[in-house]
Amino acid sequence: MHPQLQLLVALQDMEQMIQEAEDQKKAAELEGMGFNLGGLDGLKSAQEELEAKIDPRHRNYYRRLTKHFGHAVVPVVGNLCTGCFASIPASFVSVTNENKVQKCENCGRILYWP
Amino acid sequence: MDIAEVLNHTSPDLFLSDLTATDKQSALAEMVTGLVAGTTITNNETILQMLQSRENLGSTAVGPGIAFPHGRTLAVQKLTILIARSREGIDFDSEDGKPTQLFFMLIAPPQDSGHKYIKSLAALTDKMQNTELRDKLLESADFEGFCTTLKEG
Repeated sequence: MHPQLQLLVALQDMEQMIQEAEDQKKAAELEGMGFNLGGLDGLKSAQEELEAKIDPRHRNYYRRLTKHFGHAVVPVVGNLCTGCFASIPASFVSVTNENKVQKCENCGRILYWP
Repeated sequence: MDIAEVLNHTSPDLFLSDLTATDKQSALAEMVTGLVAGTTITNNETILQMLQSRENLGSTAVGPGIAFPHGRTLAVQKLTILIARSREGIDFDSEDGKPTQLFFMLIAPPQDSGHKYIKSLAALTDKMQNTELRDKLLESADFEGFCTTLKEG
């Protein structure tokens, strides 16, 4: 996988974790099970550090997509973009494309093959 | 959620009877390696990073001798649960400071229809309040015995 895509996936996972910890209802649910969410500030710092490692070009694109769609990176399942359900050409997953951050030709979301 | 329903998300290939790891970081790595080996999941690096972030938010070792490493990641397409034990016990930053011997690792996709992830986590944390059951689970001979004990407990 492209190293920048790896960082973008990790960033999106981390941002979802932060959102859930900040969501009062979801946080209360987890705290009710006994989980401590006290390290939120540390997690936000880690998120900033992670974001700083991402190439500004990819980072700015990720931010635009997140603002527009909620999630910038989406998995490809059954050759479909799970953001817009457009078909993804088989050529996108060829060896020659391994060093690219691939985008859906229809919606522009960043594609990830789980 | 019924515990039998929770167990639908695991399998004998996702049961690590005795971890060799002796510290928290290597235990997480060993469990993620087991997860990748027992499924079609490939991106172990992303999962490990997500779990480490979750532990930084607060330790998931919340029961007596039990931890529930958990989180959501793009790296999986469905809720997957790995069960692991450590006979020696591992320092997992538990609140009571005691070593952790039993692990339920829950990994879910970002979107989770039917809230299976939270419901499974709730069912397991609730069930594991029973310390007698925990002791029996540590003694179960294999995956089948473990599941039977958990369902009966």
